[in-house]
Amino acid sequence: MKKNILIIDDSESIREVIATGLESAGYAVIRGVNGEDGLNCLKNNPDVELIITDLNMPVMDGISFLKEVRKSDKHKYLPVIILTTESQEIKKQEARNAGATGWIIKPFSREKLLNVIKKVVH
Amino acid sequence: MDAMRITYLEEANDLLANLERALLALETNDNDKSYIEEVFRVMHTLKGNSSMFGLPVIAEFVHDLETIYDMIRVGEMQLSKELLDCTFSCLDHLKIIIHDSNLSNEINKDNHENLIHQITDFINQKSGVLTAPKEENTARKSKTFYIYFEPNPGIFENGTNPLFLLSELAGMGNNKAIPHFKVLPENKEFVSDECFTYWDIYLETDKSDKDILDVFVFVEGQSKIEITEIATSSILNDPLFDEFIRRDIYNDVKTDVKEMMALAGTIQEKPLPKKDSVEIVNGTKETKVQKKDKSEKNISSIRVSSDKLDELMNLVSELVTTQAGLTLFAANNKIAELEVITENVEKLSRRLRDIAFGMTLVPINNMFGRFQRMVRDVSGILGKEIEFLTEGGETELDKTIIETLTDPLMHILRNSLDHGIEKGDEREAKGKSRSGKVTLKAFYSGVFVYIQISDDGKGIDVDAVRAKAISKGIIKPTDSLSEKEIFDLIFYPGFSTAQKVTDVSGRGVGMDVVKRNITDLKGSILVESKVDEGTTLTIKLPLTLSIIDGLLVVINQVNYIVPLSVITKCYAVNNKDMVNSFNNLLVLDDEQVPFIHLREEFGYPALPTAQSQMIVINNGERKVGISVDNIIGEYQAVVKPLGKYYKKQDFVSGASILGDGTIALVLDTNKLIDLYTEKTQTEEKTWQLN
Amino acid sequence: MATKLNKDEKIEATKSFLSFKLAEEHFAIEVMKIMEILEVPKITKVPHAPDFLVGVVNLRGGVLPVIDARIKFGLRPIEMTVDTCILVLSIGLNDETVTVGAMVDSVSEVFEMEEKHIQPSPSIGSKYRAEFIQGMIKEKDQFMMLLDIDKVFSSQELESLADNQQEIHLDPAT
Repeated sequence: MKKNILIIDDSESIREVIATGLESAGYAVIRGVNGEDGLNCLKNNPDVELIITDLNMPVMDGISFLKEVRKSDKHKYLPVIILTTESQEIKKQEARNAGATGWIIKPFSREKLLNVIKKVVH
Repeated sequence: MDAMRITYLEEANDLLANLERALLALETNDNDKSYIEEVFRVMHTLKGNSSMFGLPVIAEFVHDLETIYDMIRVGEMQLSKELLDCTFSCLDHLKIIIHDSNLSNEINKDNHENLIHQITDFINQKSGVLTAPKEENTARKSKTFYIYFEPNPGIFENGTNPLFLLSELAGMGNNKAIPHFKVLPENKEFVSDECFTYWDIYLETDKSDKDILDVFVFVEGQSKIEITEIATSSILNDPLFDEFIRRDIYNDVKTDVKEMMALAGTIQEKPLPKKDSVEIVNGTKETKVQKKDKSEKNISSIRVSSDKLDELMNLVSELVTTQAGLTLFAANNKIAELEVITENVEKLSRRLRDIAFGMTLVPINNMFGRFQRMVRDVSGILGKEIEFLTEGGETELDKTIIETLTDPLMHILRNSLDHGIEKGDEREAKGKSRSGKVTLKAFYSGVFVYIQISDDGKGIDVDAVRAKAISKGIIKPTDSLSEKEIFDLIFYPGFSTAQKVTDVSGRGVGMDVVKRNITDLKGSILVESKVDEGTTLTIKLPLTLSIIDGLLVVINQVNYIVPLSVITKCYAVNNKDMVNSFNNLLVLDDEQVPFIHLREEFGYPALPTAQSQMIVINNGERKVGISVDNIIGEYQAVVKPLGKYYKKQDFVSGASILGDGTIALVLDTNKLIDLYTEKTQTEEKTWQLN
Repeated sequence: MATKLNKDEKIEATKSFLSFKLAEEHFAIEVMKIMEILEVPKITKVPHAPDFLVGVVNLRGGVLPVIDARIKFGLRPIEMTVDTCILVLSIGLNDETVTVGAMVDSVSEVFEMEEKHIQPSPSIGSKYRAEFIQGMIKEKDQFMMLLDIDKVFSSQELESLADNQQEIHLDPAT
């Protein structure tokens, strides 16, 4: 059975690049376009094992999304990886405080992506 | 023929080509172990493939050959000339029977039996001379680490699962992980979603402690982690250490690291290195960085359809052009972050471009192997001594071009061998060396690649060609032709100066086909020859690689691009110095460098400014400077052809469209220098005559 | 039935032409050969090229060579006006199709004409070499020469297309 990973990013190209990398490594990928959409995806796919989310998104941003996830009963302990750029140190801290499991710094290669995922999901 | 069969044949052909190359190399370097390994490897793979595709006859044949080379490999047999010759014959036989795997052809059947007989003889006569020592095992050594991992109670709150980290550690080598439980608080305080487990982990790995620490990168701030190197070798399986670990399992007291290390010390022969423990508590201390050793990489290859490659290259070309526009935009709009990003985009697209275009390029020495084989065989048949030299094998060409060129080049080469090089006696009588020399040379100039075949044989007799052409009615006796035009007649269909037809080069009527193959590739061919001195055929082909790294310069507000590959250094020079120079020579870096005042040569009036930029170029053996108004900077140019109208202006090899839409002309510096040095020479001549 | 046949015949025999001017002379080309018409963009001159090769321009990412049609016809080189433009032509050159731009003083109009109305060009007294002229057309009281542009733009030498080697000077007032 393939593991489900949820990717949330408002940029289609980033979504697809990540999705391709993950699918080639044997994961099944669900895509969301912002935090609110992400929550809906979670509702419809309760067996998601990992979430990878961007921070800057319209409608609902990554931090708010993360807080919602940590509040919920079902997904409280779900690993969430945030995507961040080098210069967003403060955001990274904020994300950690909000309960982020880990982070990936953009730009990243497929190899780096898979290395990080190894730490949080099988 | 089904797809599987086609795949098998493609792979078999590749393998046999590799085999031939290796055998030829072995002939001249018979003690080079690596070639023997290669021969063995190829045979092994071919045997496997043939088995898999249900071709037992071929598989068994190769198996026998493989046996011989295995024996040579381990020193049980020595390579001899007879064996090598036999292997060549087997190679030729294989080339045939991969298409006739049942030996339905009588001739093939006979050859097959013959060769198997020879091979078996060799196997039975193995000699006992040792040739090479066995290679030592140079595997990298593993070290043993002790890792103490105690996550904070609240670690689950951010979705961390410590077990995944343990599993990542397990992927780094042999390990034992022993969980322990902390004292649990009283029932009412017990919160079920807190972590009360900690672990003692013993890990054997060739990775560094930095790599181990990297596993914990996300939890450093929320756990206690200690990594200690306890041994410079693998000791987990040692019974003493095993006993120690067992005690640890039942022991809830924190493991005594000192005791552990003492034990480890007695187990190993080598003394423990100093300063090998690293302690991290809520993560800030620096770790000692060990050099990471790369494990051996397997260089494998895959087949890609050329349609996909073409599309990829088109997209890359477009990307490069678009990125140039982006860089320009960023520069014009001066947004700091944007400039950084565009710089990254530029770097990435450059690498992408190099890799994408590199994929279709193959070094030309892949072809050379076939030629060497042919020269070897043919010179034997003709009884001529021939030295075959190759130069520029690393020059890369598009794969399809190489495939198209192989036949024409073979033909030209055969002509050289057959009609060009004289027999040893004849050569000596002429005062030449006994063995003839045939050279195959490949090199780049501008955006073209040149392939030259030259020999020091008897050359082409212009009068004989002329006479033949008249007798064939190709030209009239009254026609007057230049030497070049007479040489061009060789490419006329139906033309042949061969006095007799030999079985080596056929009727010599292939030259028109040769020319057609070359013009199909949008190239041209030039013949130069002198009686008794030799003949040189030069094939000129446009490069399909259409992106080059260049220097963008300006002359009279027109942009030009000079390929970076030819530039040695740039200088600022005073216009006065250029004007006053004697014989167009300037002293730069204590060297006298001839230069071309490009602005003047292009016919523009002098610049009012005081300085120009002098770009010193490599022109074969010497350095020549060309002066420009200004240097703008490095530029990655997608080169497009100028078209037929500008054929004569060959010092411009193409044009590139800059980010702002204007056009820059790409200069072929060799042609440029030729153009102006010729001019000077003619001017000098005229001056002398006066 | 008869009427129908005639109609078909008529449709087949009609061609479209574009008329343009070089100085005061009128010429026409088959529209089929014209890919587009451009306003004159920045032209990059290639050094040491014959005069009639004005330079190259950027045509949507491709490199287009531009020829001064006036020089080709033995007229004084073109002087840029607001009406000057480039006809992007697709011509046959040695078994290949080549795209080239021809700079002309102005374009007049596109019109249709039946082939049978194309008159043979006069062989005597013609200013221009006969092989480049496909015929003469009369459109709205204006005589113009129909060019065989494959031949016109194939000859790469500097020689002009004028029969006599002298340059034809025009009254500066025109």
